[in-house]
Amino acid sequence: MSKRDRVAAIGVGYSTTGRRTGLTRRQLVAQAAKKAMEDCGISADQIDGVVLHAGVAGAEPPGLDFIDALDVAQMLGIMPISFYNSDQGGPAYIHAAISAIAAIQSGQAHTVLTVRVINQRLSSAQERDSVQGPMRIGGDSQFTMPFGSVTPIQTISALPAQRHMERYGTTEEQFGAHVISQRANAALNDDALMRDPLTMDDYLNSRFVSKPVRLLDCDYPVDSASAIIFTTEERAGDFAKKPVFVESAALSATDILPAGFEKVVDLNHNSPYHASELMWSRTDLKPADVDCAQLYDGFTIIVFQWLEALGFCGEGEAGSFVESGATRLGGSLPVNTDGGACNVGRRHGANFCIESVRQLRGNESGERQVKDAEVAVWANATGPFSGAVLMTKD
Amino acid sequence: MTNAASIDIPESATAADYPPIPEPNALTEFFWEGVANHKLLILRCGACGKYIHYPRPICPNCLSMDDLAPEEVSGRGTIYSHTTTVQPFHPYYVDKVPYNLIIVALEEDEEVRITSNLIDYPNDDIRIGMPVQVTFEEVAPGLTLPLFKLA
Ligand SMILES: [Zn+2]
Repeated sequence: MSKRDRVAAIGVGYSTTGRRTGLTRRQLVAQAAKKAMEDCGISADQIDGVVLHAGVAGAEPPGLDFIDALDVAQMLGIMPISFYNSDQGGPAYIHAAISAIAAIQSGQAHTVLTVRVINQRLSSAQERDSVQGPMRIGGDSQFTMPFGSVTPIQTISALPAQRHMERYGTTEEQFGAHVISQRANAALNDDALMRDPLTMDDYLNSRFVSKPVRLLDCDYPVDSASAIIFTTEERAGDFAKKPVFVESAALSATDILPAGFEKVVDLNHNSPYHASELMWSRTDLKPADVDCAQLYDGFTIIVFQWLEALGFCGEGEAGSFVESGATRLGGSLPVNTDGGACNVGRRHGANFCIESVRQLRGNESGERQVKDAEVAVWANATGPFSGAVLMTKD
Repeated sequence: MTNAASIDIPESATAADYPPIPEPNALTEFFWEGVANHKLLILRCGACGKYIHYPRPICPNCLSMDDLAPEEVSGRGTIYSHTTTVQPFHPYYVDKVPYNLIIVALEEDEEVRITSNLIDYPNDDIRIGMPVQVTFEEVAPGLTLPLFKLA
């Protein structure tokens, strides 16, 4: 890609974010979008594209043969794929970002507002107690839910984490080291909701949800909207903030949920590897060039998967890499410098884009600023679908 | 979708009496009929031999559509991963936690992975690689599921 053809991120913004805000999706989206527009001083007539991701994948009710693009690709043996739409699931915010980047690169639009909005779900007890009468379940979930496989905490977190531990010798303390490290970053971030430092005892004493996953391994459910505006390199200098450039981006699907989750090699080795391979194939930069990594932490094990998939450490070595301190602020590869979704709240990937932009702007991250940060990578989702984006300062 | 294979349960049943109940459709009916008859049936492509699970109307390997048929498998496999769930996310599990969840890699094709539960074995002693054998258990009136025992 010639320098002139690059895509730039120019404005970022968050809505009010918190537990049970009472805000509707329209309110959340309006707040975040306005903040992003104000951030770069753009007016509505300068934007000609919008991508919103508001979907949350769920179990299929009986009688509905739910199908989306991923099902089509899986059914016909077309996987893996690097482009698709997805009506419900897919890799959340990064799907919107990559759609925008692709549209700008192809000339379909020059400036695109991207938004991820998500409402806090009911508590698990409220959800559980709201089940009226026996539940009948169709689609692929009829092969998993009758056995008590009812939450992603089991499928994309506990089962892969257990396999990572038994296969590679990864320990609870290594998961804990990451949780403690990103909480320390959150303490330096005014946007974070969870800011009290954690000790290893705090981690090991936090209750199990589904072993080996503890409550502190799970992202923090909140109401939130996040917005990022992308534009062409040509226009990028017209706005209030220093632009940050997309060096390369990759969307990936290798299978579907839940059927595809179970087939993931070692339960840990699939779409993030495919996305990483695609992303690195589209740039001359290498993992060693990256100054900070913002890696999706819906659950702790997913950060480990990305560290390995992106090539920052060898397969199965994420535990010792994290334990070495490399991923702390001041280490060789600071990870989740905003505190991650466990601490800034569930924003389904968008916070990792926003934190990358802020780190590369170089003057917005205060005490958590990574010194001389020039290259950042951010990644979203895991298992059968995911994406990764590499961004640069210049 | 109205379906002859729909599992009948008492009208008085509550959510606490049943786990989520599989609702078969035209593609999956054979599997649950097999389970009711204590057979583990997996769809297989007659043209290229690939096992297709979960059931699909087309073979992802050779795109055959006419030559797909359920085939009884051994029910043997190994544990690919496991978890013990402590927090109940559905009324049925409130008095059943902690319970285990296993993924079984099937002996005929280790890419066929089956989510189930291991019975008659302590949760804390479950390990990846353990050999298991399917067993059919009526977990609630009228609802039989393919569960696994240590082989
Ligand atoms: Zn075939």
